[in-house]
Amino acid sequence: MKRLICAVALMFGILSTSAVARDIAHELGTTTVPDAPERIVVLEFSFIDALASVGVAPVGIADDNRRDRVIAEYTEIIGDEWVSVGTRKTPSLEVIASLSPDLIIADKNRHSEAFGTFSEIAPTIVLDSLGGDYHASVEQMTIIGEAIGKPEEMATRVAAHKAKMADYVAQIKPKAAGVSAQFGVTNANGLWLHSPVSYNGSLLEMFGFASGMSPDGEGGLYEKTYVPTTLEQLSEVNPDILIFGEYADPSHVDSWSGETLYEGLTAVEAGKVFNVTAHNWSRLRGMLAAELTAADIVEIMGKIE
Amino acid sequence: MTRPLRIGLVLLTGLIAAMLVSLAVGAVAIPLSVIVNTLLDLDGPQQDFIINRSRLPRTLLAVVTGASLAMSGAIIQALLRNPLASPKIIGINSGAALAVLLSVVLAGGVPLGFLPAVAALGGVAAAAIIYILAEVRPVSPARLALVGIAVGFTADAGVDFILVTADTYDISAPLVWLTGSLWSRGWSHLGAVAPLLICLMGVCLLLSYRLDIIRLGSAQATGLGMHVRRARLVLLTLATLLAAVSVSVVGVLGFVGLMAPHIARLLVGGAHRTLLPVALLVGALLVVIADAAGRALVPGIEISAGILTAIFGAPFFVFLLLTREIEARS
Amino acid sequence: MKSVPAGNLRAGIVRGASAALLLGAVAVGALWSLSTGGRSDVGFGDLFRPDDLARTVLSDIRAPRTLAAACLGINLGIAGLALQAITRNPLASPAILGINQGAALGLALAFVLPIFGAVGPELMAILGAFGAGVLTFAIAGGFGGRMDAMRLILGGVAVGAFSYAVVRFTFTLEDDIARSVVRWTVGDITDIRWDATLRLSAWSIPGIIAAMILSQRFNLVALGQDAARGLGADPRVTLLLGTVLAAVLAGVSVSVAGPISFTGLVVPHLARFLFGGDHRILVPAVAGLGAALMLLADALSKVLTAPIEAPIGAIAALIGAPWFLWLAVRAKGFE
Repeated sequence: MKRLICAVALMFGILSTSAVARDIAHELGTTTVPDAPERIVVLEFSFIDALASVGVAPVGIADDNRRDRVIAEYTEIIGDEWVSVGTRKTPSLEVIASLSPDLIIADKNRHSEAFGTFSEIAPTIVLDSLGGDYHASVEQMTIIGEAIGKPEEMATRVAAHKAKMADYVAQIKPKAAGVSAQFGVTNANGLWLHSPVSYNGSLLEMFGFASGMSPDGEGGLYEKTYVPTTLEQLSEVNPDILIFGEYADPSHVDSWSGETLYEGLTAVEAGKVFNVTAHNWSRLRGMLAAELTAADIVEIMGKIE
Repeated sequence: MTRPLRIGLVLLTGLIAAMLVSLAVGAVAIPLSVIVNTLLDLDGPQQDFIINRSRLPRTLLAVVTGASLAMSGAIIQALLRNPLASPKIIGINSGAALAVLLSVVLAGGVPLGFLPAVAALGGVAAAAIIYILAEVRPVSPARLALVGIAVGFTADAGVDFILVTADTYDISAPLVWLTGSLWSRGWSHLGAVAPLLICLMGVCLLLSYRLDIIRLGSAQATGLGMHVRRARLVLLTLATLLAAVSVSVVGVLGFVGLMAPHIARLLVGGAHRTLLPVALLVGALLVVIADAAGRALVPGIEISAGILTAIFGAPFFVFLLLTREIEARS
Repeated sequence: MKSVPAGNLRAGIVRGASAALLLGAVAVGALWSLSTGGRSDVGFGDLFRPDDLARTVLSDIRAPRTLAAACLGINLGIAGLALQAITRNPLASPAILGINQGAALGLALAFVLPIFGAVGPELMAILGAFGAGVLTFAIAGGFGGRMDAMRLILGGVAVGAFSYAVVRFTFTLEDDIARSVVRWTVGDITDIRWDATLRLSAWSIPGIIAAMILSQRFNLVALGQDAARGLGADPRVTLLLGTVLAAVLAGVSVSVAGPISFTGLVVPHLARFLFGGDHRILVPAVAGLGAALMLLADALSKVLTAPIEAPIGAIAALIGAPWFLWLAVRAKGFE
């Protein structure tokens, strides 16, 4: 059986490399990719989002060895047939190679070092998923659309996404004027605020929210994307709306409840603290993810009224 | 056939067997026939990438770095006349690690080709500090080791500070590297360090007789017409470079430089003309096994070779402490 | 009137002045630590005329943290003093003998494996610390009655390296785990509250008292094995009692704040430099100095990398590691 899969895989390999190729510019240069890649391996969640957006199923996903990390919204489109290639941090090169991919999409921060090795397996493009903001992630969608040979479909989908987001913005922006909102993830040991330069920070900014972390305050400049934050620091940021993604239950933030300083936060006093799915907000970073996030915010703004 | 030669041949056979096993294990199970097909380029199904471009260079890298660390350890143990010394103990590993992390934080990383240079710089700097500080007072082997530990701790403090204050994703890759992992290592890494390491090892083998003379003691060595201080300096530099350059590609592979020379000494005794080549084979064998085991134990997850060498190496070190008298003290 | 010899008088004055200076340093450290933090609008002036907000910040957030820093200094300083006394080795300390790392291993096991989790993290840390200490001493030959200085250090390094290799395994797992483990393996009290601080401080006073009770035994060990035995204090009993004291103090500290290196090494040396070798005086001196040093480190940890706070352990290591280097260059008994 395995041998059969290998043989099929090889055949696909031969077929696809013989197809017409095109050049794709990415973070680490320009890569020639086959015209219509059939066997794509993705090493970050936002790249699944991109593929799902145009109905393409990847053959391999770095899903951290946990298939449930690929959410139902994606599996409805891409099915359940992918092979797990290990963690996003150190995906198994052997498993990737055994899939005989014809395109690998890797992350700039995690995988730059291994770019050469990936390129030996298959044409590889490298994009900044982990460190990029929302606008960069949408631009990456266009690049991925080019790379997988579906530029028109992707352009349509991106346009639809932008329209949808504009609709959300129109719903949210009037209510967001002069309101500050802050997103952070919390596990059992701490809270990390996502600063205005992060993915979620840029999304909130687009919806018209102010950020207590903005560099104009006296609190100093937040150049980092994910900022470890104490309760005391949070009380200075003191946003009107607090949105937490919890990776642990009970989380570190839960341990603050009952404390005078926490209960005295503007958002806590006004009952404007909301929990969202940390995985969707913090790890996915794609168009569908942005739409889910926007829907969450609409829901949150609805609750506030 | 002499005993050392016989032992050498047995080790070589063992090493080749271990390399073949290393080629055969990993996240993807590949039948033996496919492996043979691929290696010898025969007809039939092949797995070009996994065998030729992933497992093969990785295995060779394990051989070269393991051999280098072992040789470095053997030389350092001879020079310090301290059976407990090793590149890790005298701070070279930590110095190299700090230099690489600093380059990541300050300059956003360096191109692959310069990584060995940066690591070597850090290792040599650490070794130089150790040597200079130990020279402040009459340098006893034990103190040299002690100062080495202290320099290592100091560099580690710097490493820790960078790790906790840097942005998480900046250090995502260095973290994996720090634990001593061969993940994603290929021909390019091998090409970047192997020629240098092989040359260094060759020079060390040529100089091995000097180690035997130094072991006789300074007076005798000078009597034999050797410039002891210069010879020590040259050999110490070579040992440092061997360790630091290895660390630059495989990260911190602890205890190999300690264990391999001892195992070799048990096998063939203390004469360095035979000890060095045997230690080299043992070191290569250890790292090949650690890397293969790390890939085979839990398929899909790679356990860093450095973690395995530390888990087995530390108890070995304790065993040595308990059974060997420290030459320096007597 | 009894005449006081001039030398004693001078020594007395020096000691008195040192003690006053020490108390001053603790006060300054405490004030500095209290007056800095995540809120830039709560500063030194608010210590004396706090408004409601400042009072909340000071009493709920900063006071427990400041007290925790001081208690860590006391616990680790006394643990280090006990270890240096019972081993008669100037380089002995919780970090260098592998005791901190052993505690970290105990905690990591409690985290990852449910069987050990049931024991409770604090007890696991103490058990890990005690196990590592006993192992290191056994390697050095301490229970045979003759402690080898070099073996002790090298054995500690080996025990520590082994423990950390296991702990560092978590680095290769998930980002979230790696992130907390890294932060946690260097020692962190960034977001500590009264419950943890009280757990820590609950051991500080008994620790000081126990060390005071043992101080005469420590003095006897300093005289040498035979002299100690002649005076009716079996050094092996002292060794065991000292190990238990050090393991409990270091273990509790690690379970609350993570392993903080070098405090246990540096503080006893400073104290000996200022107050001489009598452990009856050294115990309170170490407590004061440890508190002062860690208060300083805590304040620096909030200032150095602002607005992000660095873990106190990283600061302590940056201060302490060069000191260790200096000691290693100068220490006697390793020729």
